[in-house]
Amino acid sequence: MAVVTDQVTLTVDGQSVTVAKGTLILDAAKKLGIEIPIFCSHPKMEPVAVCRMCLVEVEKMPKLQPACAVYVMDGMVVRTRTEQVQRYQNGVLEFLLANHPLDCPICDKGGECPLQDQTYTYGPGASRYDFPKKHFDKAVPLSDKILLDRERCVLCWRCTRFSAEISGERELALIQRGKDTIIGTFNDQPARSEYQGNWTEICPVGALTSRQYRFISRPWDLDRTATICPGCSMGCNVHADARHNRLGRFQARENLAVDDGWLCDFGRYSFPSFQREGIERPRVRRDGRLEEVSYEEAMAAAAQSLRRAGPATAGWASPAATNEELFLFQRLLREVLATPHLDHGRGRGEAATALEPDDAALPIADLERCDHVLLLGGQAVIDAAPVLHLRLFKSERKGVRVHRVDDARAALEAVPAEAQAVGIVSSLGRKPEVDSLQGKLARKVKGSVRRLLVPDGPNGRGATDLGFGPGRGPGYASLDGKAGRARPDWEAAGVRALYLFEASPLHDFQASGEEREWIQRLETVVLQRPRPSPLDDLAHVILPGRAFVEKAGTVTNMEGRVQRIRPAIDAAVVRDDWKILQGVAQALGADWRYRDPDEVFADLSRAVPAYRADRIGERALWSERA
Amino acid sequence: MPLRDVALGPYYLLKAMATTFKHNVRPVVTIEYPERQKPVPPRARGRHILHRYADGLEKCVGCELCAIACPVGCIVVEAAENTPELRVSPGERYAKRYEINLLRCIYCGLCEEACPYDAITMGPRYDLADDHPDKFIAVKEDLLEPLPASLADTAVPSAAPSAQKIPRKW
Repeated sequence: MAVVTDQVTLTVDGQSVTVAKGTLILDAAKKLGIEIPIFCSHPKMEPVAVCRMCLVEVEKMPKLQPACAVYVMDGMVVRTRTEQVQRYQNGVLEFLLANHPLDCPICDKGGECPLQDQTYTYGPGASRYDFPKKHFDKAVPLSDKILLDRERCVLCWRCTRFSAEISGERELALIQRGKDTIIGTFNDQPARSEYQGNWTEICPVGALTSRQYRFISRPWDLDRTATICPGCSMGCNVHADARHNRLGRFQARENLAVDDGWLCDFGRYSFPSFQREGIERPRVRRDGRLEEVSYEEAMAAAAQSLRRAGPATAGWASPAATNEELFLFQRLLREVLATPHLDHGRGRGEAATALEPDDAALPIADLERCDHVLLLGGQAVIDAAPVLHLRLFKSERKGVRVHRVDDARAALEAVPAEAQAVGIVSSLGRKPEVDSLQGKLARKVKGSVRRLLVPDGPNGRGATDLGFGPGRGPGYASLDGKAGRARPDWEAAGVRALYLFEASPLHDFQASGEEREWIQRLETVVLQRPRPSPLDDLAHVILPGRAFVEKAGTVTNMEGRVQRIRPAIDAAVVRDDWKILQGVAQALGADWRYRDPDEVFADLSRAVPAYRADRIGERALWSERA
Repeated sequence: MPLRDVALGPYYLLKAMATTFKHNVRPVVTIEYPERQKPVPPRARGRHILHRYADGLEKCVGCELCAIACPVGCIVVEAAENTPELRVSPGERYAKRYEINLLRCIYCGLCEEACPYDAITMGPRYDLADDHPDKFIAVKEDLLEPLPASLADTAVPSAAPSAQKIPRKW
């Protein structure tokens, strides 16, 4: 008697393979390592089978079948390289190229273009199409980020399907019918989506290209670095592509647990602000003027001034600094200078340093497995971490009820008592509300209630975990009554010296007018920053450091995932930030002898056991702490 | 010395002089090299030339296929976009920077073969000698064909930003 399972066995090109029911022929073949050419099919979108490139022969079916849209059946016999299939592939490509301009030498996709690759692999060597090709305007701006070239478009619908199925904005659409079909926005309005950059990545031809990357480089010229997006606390994995030591673009580097393969435009197009112009040297203010000195002199000058202020020093670090730097800076302030005044917030009076491990209890990928998700704060939360919207929209399509509410009472009512898994997503500023809402919900519903708060900056989470705040030490250790004050209260606390550590132009120390005045009156302002800042005028010592894309280390995203960043640009002329911090500490008499960031991380994981070197890329293990 | 040789002495003398005078009236096979140069065969591979269309626009679109075809990696190309104010080539794209390291070049001609627009060809010049390695970096201005005489006065196509302004990597 046959055992009924969810598995089916089929044969592809004479090889037998067993896959789950509901698998496409395309994926079954992929499992065997057999490549079937595709244009329209995309693993994250519903099959449409419009490009007809993936036609394969299936025994007992009268015509060729699209492998990207036909599900496997038990005993199916598929052949992907028969003469008939090859003839059809040839024909499909000849038709696709009939109106394609073949302007590969000037096309930004050239070199990484599926149409180019597949024409070489499966296509005819020459075209028989002698008639004039169809012409459209070249390089039509779809928005300030994207250019559309309709001549190159092969109408695979990937961008329109992204717009409908992934981002849900339905901005791009197919206009007209038949041979007149074109891609466009309604009434040719500029596209406003926050996820347009993804269109350029999924486009299998050069129809949709980025304006920023236009003619910057050829794909083979790029130096590719696997790193993390500096945009927000989402921690999306990116490839930073640089040419001649200048960043050319960010591309998605799929991490199903974090970004699901997508980026937002804020992060993707943030890279120009990291471009270093020229070489900078440290400067020290002498008689009111900033003079260029060596790093050693500048660090000694900083140490001398900081020693005078001692415990009346306050330290601010950017939430874009790496864990290693934050750990060292924290040690410098607490151990060497004996000051409790640490902060990394934007100083808007929010509880920026009040995060707890539980605020990351809901992993991003688990949003899909909740049955109710409360988005407390609505669009404001999405703006703080735009890729979150794509995950929430995906969850909604899977049947998760997402409630976009602005008020905790409405949120409480929206969730029925029989809910199994409830998730609360909100921004850090609303932490007190979220805490009370979670308490009420936990009493109301049967299932679990978990929360995910979006901190500031790509490493806001790590900054709190490592105790870079006034209230808690590394790993949320208690400070035994030696708690310091947060940034808004520094003036009242009698702070006389300020050590500012900026790490990214996207998350720098933005001083209000009042704060600026206060800083102006300070005895000492040490400014460690990657590029000229408006605070340069107020600083007594300027230590040029590296920006987010120029250094190695780890950062922690909103769900507590510790991920590695790597230098995409060589900034050898500028000293590494951890070395500067170590240099200042040594000048103050500390005996620090770290040789690289990994040694700092080893020390860090002794202080914060949740961070483990063998688990980089995974979420920090706070639950094991207890 | 035998007496016979003494008797034949004048004969040998005259014979040698005849050889000399015969060569005096023969056609010359050498040329005054640096001042005069021999024409090279049509397919000789000398220093590269970047060509223009008859209207003066550059043929090169900055596609970098020469750079990737080059087996020694001696070509650097950076592209930019043509604008209505600055039209350098007919299409959307032109080479903002085009440099060949003539010392590294092996004159194999693969760049010429790779070029989809016949923009670069190997030219006839082979007298490449200079007194500093830096002088062997041929920039776009060095390689470009001169404007056709009829267009020599119109400044439009040659208004391309000078490749010399871009800091060199080596």
